[in-house]
Amino acid sequence: MTLEKSESIDKVQLLHHQAQAINWNRIEDPKDDEVWDRLTANFWLPEKVPISNDVPSWKTLTAEEQQLTMRVFTGLTLLDTIQGTVGAVSLIPDAVTLHEEAVYTNIAFMESVHAKSYSSIFSTLSSMKEIDDVFRWSRENPHLQKKADIIIKYYKGDDPLKKKVASTLLESFLFYSGFYLPMYWSSRAKLTNTADLIRLIIRDEAVHGYYIGYKFQRALAQESQERQDELKLYTYELLEELYENEVLYTESLYDGVGWTEDVKKFLHYNANKALNNLGFEALFPKDMTDVSAAILSALSPNADENHDFFSGSGSSYVIGKAVNTEDEDWDF
Amino acid sequence: MSVEPGHEDTRVPEKYRGLGYHELNALLNLYDADGHIQFDADRQAARQYFLQHVNNNTVFFHDLEEKLDYLVSHQYYEPEVLAKYSMEFIKELSKLAYSRKFRFETFLGAFKFYTSYTLKTFDGQRYLERFEDRVVMVSLYLADGDELLATQLVEEIIAGRFQPATPTFLNAGKQQRGELVSCFLLRIEDNMESIGRSINSALQLSKRGGGVAFALTNVREAGAPIKKIENQSSGIIPIMKLLEDSFSYANQLGARQGAGAVYLHAHHPDIYSFLDTKRENADEKIRIKTLSLGVVIPDITFELAKKNQDMYLFSPYDVERVYGMPFSDVNVSEKYHEMVADGRITKKKINAREFFQTLAEVQFESGYPYVMFEDTVNRANPIDGKIIMSNLCSEILQVSEPSTYHEDLNYDEVGKDISCNLGSLNIALTMESPDFGQSVETAIRGLTAVSDMSDITSVPSIERGNQMSHAVGLGQMNLHGYLAKEHIHYGSEEGLDFTNIYFYTVTYHAVRASNEIAKERKAVFAGFERSQYASGEYFTKYTDREWTPATGRVRQLFAEAGVHIPTRADWEQLKASVMEHGMYNQNLQAVPPTGSISYINNSTSSIHPIASKIEIRKEGKLGRVYYPAPFMNNENLEYFQDAYEIGYEKIIDTYAAATQHVDQGLSLTLFFKDTATTRDINRAQIYAWRKGIKTMYYSRIRQLALEGTEVEGCVSCML
Repeated sequence: MTLEKSESIDKVQLLHHQAQAINWNRIEDPKDDEVWDRLTANFWLPEKVPISNDVPSWKTLTAEEQQLTMRVFTGLTLLDTIQGTVGAVSLIPDAVTLHEEAVYTNIAFMESVHAKSYSSIFSTLSSMKEIDDVFRWSRENPHLQKKADIIIKYYKGDDPLKKKVASTLLESFLFYSGFYLPMYWSSRAKLTNTADLIRLIIRDEAVHGYYIGYKFQRALAQESQERQDELKLYTYELLEELYENEVLYTESLYDGVGWTEDVKKFLHYNANKALNNLGFEALFPKDMTDVSAAILSALSPNADENHDFFSGSGSSYVIGKAVNTEDEDWDF
Repeated sequence: MSVEPGHEDTRVPEKYRGLGYHELNALLNLYDADGHIQFDADRQAARQYFLQHVNNNTVFFHDLEEKLDYLVSHQYYEPEVLAKYSMEFIKELSKLAYSRKFRFETFLGAFKFYTSYTLKTFDGQRYLERFEDRVVMVSLYLADGDELLATQLVEEIIAGRFQPATPTFLNAGKQQRGELVSCFLLRIEDNMESIGRSINSALQLSKRGGGVAFALTNVREAGAPIKKIENQSSGIIPIMKLLEDSFSYANQLGARQGAGAVYLHAHHPDIYSFLDTKRENADEKIRIKTLSLGVVIPDITFELAKKNQDMYLFSPYDVERVYGMPFSDVNVSEKYHEMVADGRITKKKINAREFFQTLAEVQFESGYPYVMFEDTVNRANPIDGKIIMSNLCSEILQVSEPSTYHEDLNYDEVGKDISCNLGSLNIALTMESPDFGQSVETAIRGLTAVSDMSDITSVPSIERGNQMSHAVGLGQMNLHGYLAKEHIHYGSEEGLDFTNIYFYTVTYHAVRASNEIAKERKAVFAGFERSQYASGEYFTKYTDREWTPATGRVRQLFAEAGVHIPTRADWEQLKASVMEHGMYNQNLQAVPPTGSISYINNSTSSIHPIASKIEIRKEGKLGRVYYPAPFMNNENLEYFQDAYEIGYEKIIDTYAAATQHVDQGLSLTLFFKDTATTRDINRAQIYAWRKGIKTMYYSRIRQLALEGTEVEGCVSCML
């Protein structure tokens, strides 16, 4: 397919869309509605979390730990930037229904909120010079750059299903080498508000990866056996390529503090989860995925934790459904 | 910290070997291979915490004398406290405490105690007290030289029946410390001096510890005139911002960050802006992150909503001019139609049902605001005066009087502001007390001591209020734990019956204790003669009819525990004694939410149901830790339904059964699943108001992970 041709198809699709108003009362796939409700109820902005309460805790970290934390967050910023500006956006033209398209626009927007959240962590905890240094590091770290290159390559490709695979692996797998650290800190009573913010991000990414994976599975079922086999093979190959690079990236980050082996287990755990989202069987056996209980428990995206007055509302609240009261409610 | 290979403790089950205490504790939140909750992992976590951490980091002394010498000479302990007793007595008391063989039941209990309460070396690195030492020091301090009271307090606290609130338990006897009082409540009046003085009070009180609440009801609304020039006032939001910043600036020697709440009347014109500060998409300039909000709602608002009418909001500036008293002190329900008709009062209107819906929307997004049902509270208040606000945990309900100031912020007239110190009884253990009445009395005496010894000179209106009222707040916790232990479902007929009779009995002994103290000291709280205690009116509901258990099970529980249920004759006698000798304390009971202390005490919080079988606790100093409900095991899980499953009716019914006996308030948290709508929250509020509930604390919403995205085998994630 030539470039011009694909562009003209885009335009035709666009025109087609303009002509058709989105009708949420006729949902073709109820999952679209369910996920849309969940995502909108989960809307949040970084300003809600009192990150500045972590400043005293930040100061108790060693210089090495601070640098590690900054680097981890820059890595995450890069991924969220890609996902917000290229990744989720690239899925939109492939959407089968208008509702699916609407969900992708929400995903793209929230990824940009995530990217901005890291900046608010940086500016609260650190100085401008340190921030510039760590962004320079992110441009120069070969493993981080390679990770970005691999993903972007597939986003720019023209196979809608392969794009979904790349996107799911990013949402459900690649983020987690970074997510490990704030979860670790939080179980040790460090940077707990930052961890709250990250938990909000995890809450979103869990739904994103799940949804994109689900759409992949639906589309895959329509394909020929041959194509299904090809995509399965492709998924495992891409995961392997990303995994090899991810191990190197993890070592470059965590060798200094000596946690690499534990982070790797976490990578295995989440790689299996990503495959599960795509409808494929796990790759890593159980004994390679026994993540430390402290991390696994901290990860729980549920919102039933109890907190004191000083810790903000954490991830405990959502935007509710407004329904008018009726006369019968006021019958007293 | 992990254990080195080869050094494993052989008493640790194989599957837990080599794990650090944080990992062991986190296993609580994950089911084992057979789908069981791993309670033993948490017990191992507590054990390993001592072996791996506490024991190695505790300063060693040969004997008590050496220890006390060291602590006094190095300025850790207040020498005046110890000087009131003989060395022999202190030794005996310490021996008594250690003989009770106290053990922490959970990791969180031990972890919380050692991170937040115990005395540490000044560099914060090593521990100087064990739990027993803290109990002894708190008791010595509170008893103020009275050996009998000191012994009684040690017995009650070490047995876990009585647990003083955090500020008291954390600070008593230490030389470098904050205040012992839990809560402060202050009025702000409609002038710059009062606002300025309030910011100063926020700083002063946060520095010393305790939560601070302010009433904003009297401050004129945004756009109100200043010196007759229209559109001048900035309203209440900028004051909230100033208060929020003040609280985060001042903290109690780094031990606790300041925390505060603000209350506003529903009929204040800025009510919508007030609520909008907690919106998810609020602009940064007006967003309130850490300040807690409360709304004061009178009966008339419900009446208007019932009729689906508009509700008028009144300018505090004008109301004060018309009635000659601050807006907060005007009875809005009574004067509503008069104020609507009065052309001198600037007003605007909103729809009453829409107001309630907005309230619910904001509660969904943020858990706030708290609610105080103004008329219910004042009808039940036995003290002369009006209650206009509550506090950070919505359980303190006391009368106040405004202060007036000179331009240099000195007082023209010192008003009456509110402080309250708290402590809670563990219901399960108090039911096992060898002498129930004495347990209540000792608790009241311990709390009274805090009031007597508190002298908050930095805020004269608080100091005056405390001197006048000697108010205390005895709370209760572990109701759900007790009921489950006795195989009674929370909110069942028997559960409500127990709650009623238990609070009824506690109330009798609390009043009796306060009457005893008044007799001994020949002193009563200021204004006793104008109270319903003095007139005898308070006692009518207890002398008019007999209060007895309605169910056989509850009768049996009290009989087996040997707890006498007061009779009408008992009340008649008490009434006569109170009318003759008075009462020392203006207020006696208030049921706080009990966060930290219920972990140390191994209780379920307050009298509400557990929020989760395994609770996730997050705090700045603790990180994320996991806490199992007390008495729970893999066999009795059916009695440990969580609050979301139990639903709001049973919780409100339980609180209503207790509320009728409690002179102040009870922190009532409501729990909703995320399938609830704002209408469900509104219905719960209407139900609570009709049932005579005084205040409502947080609303909590539980959102379960979308199916397919949850963490596998996670206990707190399951329905």
